[in-house]
Amino acid sequence: MKPDLSWGAECAWPTARAEPTRSWPWRSLALALLLIGTLQFGRGAWIQAKAWLAQELIAHAWSRTLNGEKQVKPWPWADTWPVARLSVPVLGIERYVLAGANGSVIAFGPGHLSGTPVPGDAGNSVIGGHRDTHLAFLRHVKPGDALEIERADGKRILYRVLDANVLDKRDVWVAKQEGPNRLTLVTCYPFDALRAGGPQRYVVFAFESKNRGGERGTRG
Amino acid sequence: MKNTNPAANPRLVAFDLIACVALAASVALATAIVLIATVLLLAGRAEAAEGPAGTLLLKRLDGGHAPSAPLLSTDVTFRVSGMVARARVVQTFHNASADWVEGVYVFPLPENAAVDRLQLRVGKRLIEGEVRERGAARRTYEQARANGQRATLMDQERPNIFTTRVANIGPRELVAVELEYQQTLRYDNGRYSIRFPMVVAPRYIPGSLKVSAPEQLGWSPNTDQVPDGARITPPVLRPEAGPANPVTVRVELDAGVPISQLASPYHRVDVRHVSESKRQVELADGSVPANRDFELTWVPQSTHAPQIAWFTEQKEGRHYGLLMVLPPAAAPGARLAREVVFVLDTSGSMAGASIRQAKDALGMALARLAPGDRFNVIEFNSSAQMLFADAQPVNPRNVRRAIDWVQSLQARGGTEMAAALRLALDDSDDAGHVRQVVFLTDGAVGNEEALFRLIREGLGETRLFTVGIGSAPNSHFMTKAAEIGRGTFTYIGRIEEVQAKMAALFAKLESPVMKSLEVHWPAGVRAESWPARIPDLYAGEPVVIAAALDRLEGEVRLSGTRDQRTWEASVPLALNGGGAGMGSLWARGKVESLINSIREGAPEDEVRTQVIELATAHGLVTKYTSFVAVDKTPARPSDAHLKLAAVPTNLPDGWEYDKVFGELPQGSTDSRHAMLTGAFMLLLALVMLLASRRRRFA
Repeated sequence: MKPDLSWGAECAWPTARAEPTRSWPWRSLALALLLIGTLQFGRGAWIQAKAWLAQELIAHAWSRTLNGEKQVKPWPWADTWPVARLSVPVLGIERYVLAGANGSVIAFGPGHLSGTPVPGDAGNSVIGGHRDTHLAFLRHVKPGDALEIERADGKRILYRVLDANVLDKRDVWVAKQEGPNRLTLVTCYPFDALRAGGPQRYVVFAFESKNRGGERGTRG
Repeated sequence: MKNTNPAANPRLVAFDLIACVALAASVALATAIVLIATVLLLAGRAEAAEGPAGTLLLKRLDGGHAPSAPLLSTDVTFRVSGMVARARVVQTFHNASADWVEGVYVFPLPENAAVDRLQLRVGKRLIEGEVRERGAARRTYEQARANGQRATLMDQERPNIFTTRVANIGPRELVAVELEYQQTLRYDNGRYSIRFPMVVAPRYIPGSLKVSAPEQLGWSPNTDQVPDGARITPPVLRPEAGPANPVTVRVELDAGVPISQLASPYHRVDVRHVSESKRQVELADGSVPANRDFELTWVPQSTHAPQIAWFTEQKEGRHYGLLMVLPPAAAPGARLAREVVFVLDTSGSMAGASIRQAKDALGMALARLAPGDRFNVIEFNSSAQMLFADAQPVNPRNVRRAIDWVQSLQARGGTEMAAALRLALDDSDDAGHVRQVVFLTDGAVGNEEALFRLIREGLGETRLFTVGIGSAPNSHFMTKAAEIGRGTFTYIGRIEEVQAKMAALFAKLESPVMKSLEVHWPAGVRAESWPARIPDLYAGEPVVIAAALDRLEGEVRLSGTRDQRTWEASVPLALNGGGAGMGSLWARGKVESLINSIREGAPEDEVRTQVIELATAHGLVTKYTSFVAVDKTPARPSDAHLKLAAVPTNLPDGWEYDKVFGELPQGSTDSRHAMLTGAFMLLLALVMLLASRRRRFA
């Protein structure tokens, strides 16, 4: 069978001149790049896929938690469990907050910083998450927006966003406990940075609010 | 050049066909990938980042910045004679500001220092300090402060943490606090050593918040577990603020016997050879920042290595003496099967040089385990994890696994030591083993007493060995935990020391121990000696006893058993060397024994009364008594305001600021970067493939 040389200009190049000694390393380099590129792309895609698939499994663990089970691991080898459900009605966002805010946890969902009160309890609960997965929505959150926390006992607590700021990673005072009951949501900044590990943090402060009346379906 | 027509060679045709198909597939794949990546990235970019402009409403929670604190410099002179040292520490407070200032400096001293003198130097005048009950001393100081008089107060927060406060330092004025202490040297494995700690390392303060005191000088609040948290956590300079608090050190060493090896492992020193047994040592760099322990060690020439030493001093009709006896080296006994539990501190304070030293030391320890032994490894920071659910037999597979696990550990988070100690001391296992816990930590915690109680209650037949890691280990924790744990302690301050120090520790772990040590004073001599119960001796360690006697007659006899053999030694009391400051050492030993008795259930109120009486008689700073010195003439005009400022300290050498004081969780992944670079690589590969075809057919 003859090759279909009409497919493209390159393939149909009429006067081929074999130079295997020169093109062989070139070609293998290209193939290696192809392989590495695919792996690299796959690695990035896998982070995203894992982040979102995990939330599905965690949703199931959360419903079991609401039924009275304690520290339900979303998958058998997990070293974390959901502690609260965070929702932002205006943006249609729903996230399951996991125990612990270290790297291995927040790959799967926003993490609750241990040492601070569990979200929904009195005090300042600090939640960390990735700006390019679960907490990407924080850039759209505006002062006055409502955040809702569903606790393990099913009780729901309403918070209102007071402020958001760009801070340094060393500004750990945001985790201090003095002051009103609140949620402190921490993610990396800038939102569009390609690489991880920058020193800046985007921190959203939301204070507990008794007032459900002012809730809006959409933002005005 | 031979085959100009591709059709003429069937193999080449087949190859071209495959290449074309592959190329088509790659182009399609790459295009799709680039499109997806672009869409993903642009979706993010489409929203212009809104610059957060609002002022920070919560800034007040930050606590703000301290007003300009006085600059502090320290000059230390040691006079070492035989096995005791007397140190004079001069702390100069320099107020560079235009305000009247009250300076507060939290600093360390050796955990066995008997601070028995304090003077306040104002210009040319020297005001002698007095020891008073802590509350009374504070009231005297506060009164003087309010009157505008220059005054100083020195409190003990821990046996190795002290605070000096100096009130009414005038604008651009220098005021110095000069204190002196007495201490016994450490003599271990034929080597004398003296340590001078320079900085109180940031301590982890567990527990939940308590309402803070009106003046908040420390970076930590007080908590239910550490009620004085704020007092032991002086502000720490960020590394970029540069080192502060210069220290000069000078040692006048009179070893009494010819010296063969003299070393300063952590600082460069100039040594002047005065005579065979005398040296003068100074820092080669003049002054160093107060950021790590200074240590000087020396070895007496082998023929002069002391076996027995007895120094006395007569004071107010009583003889105070210090007795040191080194039992002969043990013959290697039958090796008992051991169960060793290694506990590794992986908290944030260990990050940097410390964790590397600790991992090295632990790796070496694991490799040294013998078949027949059992072992386990525990790591702890905010929580504790065990490698194996139960101690496992030593075999290459288990050891390999442990070494790999240890290497993978990272230092971050809190220092919840209690959880780790509970795991380590839980000896529900079989009895056929000697059980030893090797605890590698910097001891940077504020709740030492609670931990000591835990060790005391959980110890059973286990023995606890502390290995102090890093540039500024908590010596109080290391020595006391080992004492209560009936083990011994070791310090590792540099990675180069790991080998030698761990080898010495193994020698102790593996050699028979001298037990049931008793001291018998001659009949008719009224003697009171400390420690009340002599601790077991490990290989290379001497018995050290401080005693007060009414006369020096007869022989004191020491006895102990090792490997079922009795050891005895006797020392004629009349045969003594003259010493100075023995009274302070004896009183310090008694105070320590009294404080220990609280841990064993003695009522604190009674102990407190006894300690205050003893300490005021001997002029000692203790947890219940403080030094206070007041200049008579008021200096500060009554209309000038006094500013309170804590002297900031350096971060210990080799520590990592962010790991200690934490940082906000990192909220980003490399996913976009990975996808983008991946897409670029695919694109490049595609271009290369096209180019390669071009060449083939060109």
